[in-house]
Amino acid sequence: MNPQEKPGIWLVIRSQWLLLTVTGLYCWAFSLDQGKALLALQISAETLASVLLLIAAVFGLVGLLQVWISRDLIVRLLGREGGVRGLLLAALCGTLLIGPAYIIFPLLMSIHKQGARWAVVTIVLSAYAVKLQMIPIEIEFLGWPFALGRSLLTVALAIPTGLLVEALMERSKL
Amino acid sequence: MFKVGVIYLVIISVSYLILLRIDRGKTLLSLQVAGRSLRKLIPLLIAVFGLVGLFQVFLSPDQVEQALGAGNGWMSLFLGGALGAVAIGPPLAAYPLAGSMLDAGAWPPAVAAFVITWISIGVITLPFEASVFSIRYALLRNGIGFISALLVGLLLGALL
Repeated sequence: MNPQEKPGIWLVIRSQWLLLTVTGLYCWAFSLDQGKALLALQISAETLASVLLLIAAVFGLVGLLQVWISRDLIVRLLGREGGVRGLLLAALCGTLLIGPAYIIFPLLMSIHKQGARWAVVTIVLSAYAVKLQMIPIEIEFLGWPFALGRSLLTVALAIPTGLLVEALMERSKL
Repeated sequence: MFKVGVIYLVIISVSYLILLRIDRGKTLLSLQVAGRSLRKLIPLLIAVFGLVGLFQVFLSPDQVEQALGAGNGWMSLFLGGALGAVAIGPPLAAYPLAGSMLDAGAWPPAVAAFVITWISIGVITLPFEASVFSIRYALLRNGIGFISALLVGLLLGALL
């Protein structure tokens, strides 16, 4: 079920597509204009260095959340709660889980099979676009009005989005 | 930026020290998970920040503004959302790229749509999503999620 378990070259391409693309772009950039390409490298290194401590700190938090809020706990919480509380919990869980969204598809399907509503599954995936533990990094790059506004609006819209998807899913069953 | 990093690092370190006294094993495991997650992301971080440098040197603000600027209106909003939907990657990668776009004069609603669809909408992973849930669910979720991402962008634009 997990796409990461497929062996071979596709795994490398799939997991490192961005690094491969960027390396290619740099080769092209160096052949075009060496000075500009070097400047680009320098800007990249400086930008990375400026947020390195913040990234290290954020990953410290990621580790804490992963271990102290286990996936079993999330399954238990979301499987049982059906009402408004369940929808709000789904939004909260979505903002805390990390990694590319496809990593949690199987987890969500097992929650759905255990009785969670489609709205709950969809709200987790919609609220997924907000990452509470990453907000300091988002603020650094995008400014706090943008970061906070975007996060609040995303969570607020996750709930109607989830209910709408659920309504359309239920209709398809009839 | 450096100062914020230090403050944040101190807060997290203190949390670790406190939790270490509550449950030593769990806290050490957290540290291990943190290290492992970060190591796994290193190639991606290098790639994304490499892209930020290329972006700033080779793409002129004029070009970015023409494609993603406020003047391009609906098209720039749609383009921002579509760019994010085609790409997939960890959230962490979206912020520096989005920051470069904003600096180059992209329209904030388009950038917000880009960040949201980057994280939660996946055109490339659509077949996988359909195989786990169902094709109907995958299409509905991604379709409605995409529209909702554009809506968040527009609302954010009205707020800022």
